[in-house]
Order: sequence, then C-alpha cells, then structure tokens
Amino acid sequence: MPVYSLYMGCSVPANYPNYEAAMFKVAEALGMNLNYLEDVACCGSPNLRSIDTFGWLLVNARTIAIAEKSGHDIVTPCNGCFGSLKDVLHHLTHHKDDLKKINVELKKMGLEFKGSINVRHIIEAMYTDIGIEEIKKRVTKPLDGVGIAIHYGCHLLRPLDVTEFRPEILQEMVDATGATVIDYPLWKQCCGATVLPVNEQLAIRLARDKLKSMKDAGAVFITVVCPACGNQLDLQQLGLKDSYGEVYDLPVLLYPQILALAMGMNEEEIGLSMNRVPADPILDHLSG
Amino acid sequence: MTETEEKTGPPVTLIDPIDMTKLDPKFRNDISSMPNGEELSACFACSTCTAACPIANQWDYMPHQLIRMILLGMRDEVLSSKEIWECLTCFQCQERCPQKVRVTDIFFDCKNLAAEEGHVPENVLALGKTLVDKGQLYEVINDWEREDLDLEPEVPGLSIEGIQSILKSTRTGKLVEDGE
Repeated sequence: MPVYSLYMGCSVPANYPNYEAAMFKVAEALGMNLNYLEDVACCGSPNLRSIDTFGWLLVNARTIAIAEKSGHDIVTPCNGCFGSLKDVLHHLTHHKDDLKKINVELKKMGLEFKGSINVRHIIEAMYTDIGIEEIKKRVTKPLDGVGIAIHYGCHLLRPLDVTEFRPEILQEMVDATGATVIDYPLWKQCCGATVLPVNEQLAIRLARDKLKSMKDAGAVFITVVCPACGNQLDLQQLGLKDSYGEVYDLPVLLYPQILALAMGMNEEEIGLSMNRVPADPILDHLSG
Repeated sequence: MTETEEKTGPPVTLIDPIDMTKLDPKFRNDISSMPNGEELSACFACSTCTAACPIANQWDYMPHQLIRMILLGMRDEVLSSKEIWECLTCFQCQERCPQKVRVTDIFFDCKNLAAEEGHVPENVLALGKTLVDKGQLYEVINDWEREDLDLEPEVPGLSIEGIQSILKSTRTGKLVEDGE
C-alpha cells in the first residue's frame, strides 16, 4: 500500500471539508495510506511570495524538510499549496545560493532541506500510483453521458517545468468515471481567485467568462481540484445573478466527489449538500 | 456640413515620450541578477506574453511593455504600477514566451522590490497581517461541518507558530509593523 505525507493547508479544512472527506473515502477505497503531516505551517499563498519571497521560501522549505524525515512524498488536494510547495522545491533544487541561506535558517530549527522527496497533487498520485485501470475497476455507477467541464487551475498546470502536471491526467481521471469531458475555448483561463484582494470586479468578470464558456459548450457541471478555484466558480454564481443578470446553474464538484459517486458512495458521505450550487443534475442522473 | 472642432494641444501619439533623465540604468541588473531574471535580456518584444494574458486589454502597461520598461530602467513606473499587483499569476505569459523569459516570476520579483520600498496594496498587506496574527489564511468557523463528516474539528496538523515565528523576522513582519 503506497504511503504519503498529506499536507492539507488551511483552505480545504476550513472551507471545503467535503473535499477532504471525499478525498479520504476515495483514497481508502483505492488503497492509499494518507497520513496528515504534523506541525506544518500554512503555505502563505502567492500573496506571501509577492511581498516576501524569502519568508515564503523558508516557510515551505520547513514543511518539505519536516516531511523528508518520514521519507514519503507530500501529497496535497489544494492547487495553491501544491503551487507553493512544488515551486519552492523546484527553486531550491535549482538555486544553490538560496538553498544555503535557507538551510542556515532551518538548521536553527533542527531541520535540513535535502530535496529527497517529491511534492505531488493528490490527483496525480492517484493517477500514477494506482492507475486508470484499477480506478475503472471500482466504478460501479458510471456517469454515462453527463457533460463535465474541467477547470484545472493555473497553479496545477503552469509553469510546466515546475508543476510537471499534464492536463491529460485529470482528463483521463474524469473519463474513468464514465462521464464525457466537454471541450470549451477558455479551458486554460484563470478563475480569477488570485486577483480578488486587489480588484474584485475583475475577479468576478474572469469567473463569469469562464462559466459562460463552459455553459455555451454544453457542460452540465464542473469539476475542480482546488478550493480557491472551487470557491470562485461555485460561490460567484450566486452573485452573478445580481451583477450580470445571468444564471448558470452549473454545479461545481471537487473531483474526488465525482469519483466517489461513480464508486457508488452516497451524497452524505462526501458532503454534497455543502456545494453551493445544488448538484441535482448529477443526482437525478444517478437515480434515473 | 458639420463643423470639425478646433484641435488644441499636442498631437495624439501612441505613448508619451520617455523622459530619459529619469531612467535608472541599474534597474535591469537588479532584476536580472535575481534567480528568475537570467533570461530577461533575451526578450525581443514579440508581445506573445501580452497575447497570452487574459487581462492585458484593461491594463495601461501590458506585459511586454512592462518587460521593456524594466530593460529601459523605468524603475518608478514599474514598481508603482497597479499592473504588477493585478497579475493573476496564471503563468500563461511565461509558459508561452519563446525566449524563456520567466515573465510571471519576474513580476513576483518586482512586487518584492516594491514591497521593500513599502509599496503594498492595502488588502495584500492585510493578508500578510493575517498570516502574522493568526498563522493561517483561513480558520475553521463551522467545526460542526467537519464533525458531521467524521473529521477532526481543527485544521489538521497545522502549526500556527511555524509561520508566525518565521514571518516576524522576515519582510512580512516589518511591513505589518510599519503598517500599524
């Protein structure tokens, strides 16, 4: 059974416990052993990198150094945490001067960054270590014919030399549930979450453009693998009724929720009632 | 026939002339000597970064212009621009650059230089303060939601002191202190 150090960050536990619960249910069914990392700090998000790159490097190097003691790869369900941790891993592996400075500070905490483990998104770990064929074997209620638009999230895909995550991974994972992946023109575009603190109107417009592109292409619902993206695309739909006079009714599900439903788990186990836009279309399909 | 309005003032040009006496020739070196700046001077102004940017159409300075401004030494204009803070950090510009200029990473470096001079948008500084004060960006408010799902009530494994003690001695701590 593959063993992982699980880094939760703060956003998933605080805002999306349904994502956390569904991830555990699915991981257990797939035979993955997820152990919460203890004594680790918040990643700080890209905002911390913007004002204090050294602080951001040190905080995340500390997390990686703690995980290195157990020897297991870090997995995380949040694109923001993944982006920060993976970027810091990449940076310190490629910039020896910064690594020296960081290790001087870590030594004071009794830690050392060696770069001996990897940082991975939980979805990629499922894809690579368990495999599509094994996942398909556990699908008992396939979602045939339901059109799903995938929002990958910027920090999952880019920059590719840092993230090492190909979009085909998530596409094949959705295919495995029996659903139909909907192609839409703005599939690469940002959801707008990062610009919320400095320009809310712009953030709303970006979410709106994205939702419109998905709806126009025939999506019935959306899947995401990040709490920030999920928040933007789910919660903002409520506000768009007022600001743009537009109703999208596109349920936004975290990927493990979809896989859990396709594996025959029930909606209470995966906290589906916490998703803001009601997930009726998919539930109707499953019961129909 | 309608009368045309009499035109006064200077002719309309694409951009105002650059005041070369205000350029800082060291600025490009400041950026290119940072870890992400190695390829800065490889930029040949093809504007692919701008074509890839989903929000450049509403900016006064577009990504390829910001890179050119860095190369020219327009330090004050770049570091006081709203654009570097509105950057989505979606990395589309960087991913498409045919010259391997790390455009998004360079904007992160610009924001750090701006922060060093004390220029940080209010709401971004507020996030820094949240990290120093609370040790996390999001706190669990509805712990019953977690308990309903058989999850432990608090954020699992989180060390609040882990980030607080670090950020108090780095730039974040200084910015938060100066802002109070």
